[in-house]
Amino acid sequence: MSCRELERLFVSGAPESAYAAHGATCLACAALARDLDRAAGMIEGLTPAAWGPGLRQALYDIPRFTVSCEGAGPLLAATIEEEIEPADRARLESHLSRCGGCSEAAATLAAARGLEEPLPSPWLFQRVAVARPKEKASAWRRILAPRLVVAYAYAAAVVVMLAGLNPADLARRAGSGLEKNTRTAAAAVRGSAADRIGAVQEDLARAFAVVKGKAGGYSRAALSNAMALIMKTETRRPPTRPRNGEDGGTSKQDGTTQMTTWRA
Amino acid sequence: MNVTEEKDLVDRCRQGNDEAWRQLVDQFGQKVYSIAYHFTLKREDAEELAQEIFLKVFENLHRYDGSFPLTAWLVSLSRNLCIDRYRRRKREKSFRFVSDDAVAPLLQSSDDPSSEAIKKERIKILFWALSEIPEDLAEILVLRDLDGLAYDEIGKALELPDGTVKSRLFRARAEVSRKVRERHEERRPTALAAIVMAAGAAV
Repeated sequence: MSCRELERLFVSGAPESAYAAHGATCLACAALARDLDRAAGMIEGLTPAAWGPGLRQALYDIPRFTVSCEGAGPLLAATIEEEIEPADRARLESHLSRCGGCSEAAATLAAARGLEEPLPSPWLFQRVAVARPKEKASAWRRILAPRLVVAYAYAAAVVVMLAGLNPADLARRAGSGLEKNTRTAAAAVRGSAADRIGAVQEDLARAFAVVKGKAGGYSRAALSNAMALIMKTETRRPPTRPRNGEDGGTSKQDGTTQMTTWRA
Repeated sequence: MNVTEEKDLVDRCRQGNDEAWRQLVDQFGQKVYSIAYHFTLKREDAEELAQEIFLKVFENLHRYDGSFPLTAWLVSLSRNLCIDRYRRRKREKSFRFVSDDAVAPLLQSSDDPSSEAIKKERIKILFWALSEIPEDLAEILVLRDLDGLAYDEIGKALELPDGTVKSRLFRARAEVSRKVRERHEERRPTALAAIVMAAGAAV
């Protein structure tokens, strides 16, 4: 087995004399040197394999059959715009069949054009439907809205009352021959209306006096309460609970326990 | 052609200059084909591999920055392709039984047939021995001794320091020589076998 001195000499670029000097003292390295010389003799005389004219022409034609990674970018853009020439398309496809990076870039660009529209969650449609503004109702529909019917009824009742067309009144007057003479009935209505207006005025005056009296009473009472609160000086504190060891507590200093209640 | 001129040539190729590309092919085609042949030992495979290498070169011209010789860059680009082919050939046992036709392109024609036959036999043994040693060692021996690349070119191509290149080359040569010697000893008739053969001949 060699001592590896020959390898060290070779790596360091030692002269031939150094090999010979070492080989004279190391039999293993001398044998290895003979083997190396024999192997070197096998390699001597080898000539490079000659390339043929066909291969040379094929290598010349490479730019016509493919495109570089640099040139692939513009052709990819032209492909997306569908403005690429057939020859360029063939060159690009040839390049993409071998180049993983450009092939990935082409697939990414193509994927960007074929994207599906994103679908929202179902709850979004429900929210949109609820938030959608209602259709503008027509004038008649607004006028005849159910919630206004009650108001109309009240208004009609007030008008009837103000006009003195109390159904009871009308019934009573109908009994007095109103239906026989229209003029008489109209006069009766006018008279009743004057009476009613007077009665309403009287009622309003009475109600105002009542409200005024109540307001005065309430204000006086409020003033009195406020004064009482201001003038109040004595405060009442809630009883405090005695602690252990205090008078009335459960624990005594002498150690005896006496059950008492702090409320007592 | 120095590195600056090589960079200029590559730049003109990048700009789509056909004449520059033809110049590049003329300059490096033989070398690339030779390397391809040593890794395949078959003309059709070597031509196909050389075309693959030059396709890769053309498509990657923008990667060459001119910081080291173009030959080293070509080898670094083609290394994986060559190694793939080399492994395939090893799997197919193509190096174990190297044909005369496979080694013929590597020898100068000679008027002496016996001498030519001996040379062919040696080359066949050499490629057999290369297939028997580790791949990283065989690769360096091919690039240095068969293709004549400089140490720094091999180092740049394989991304190895010069010391490692030299060390591997030494070990590759030592391994090849050991394989050849062992093979020679295995095939040399022993003394007993020689006596038997002689007796048989006498009878």
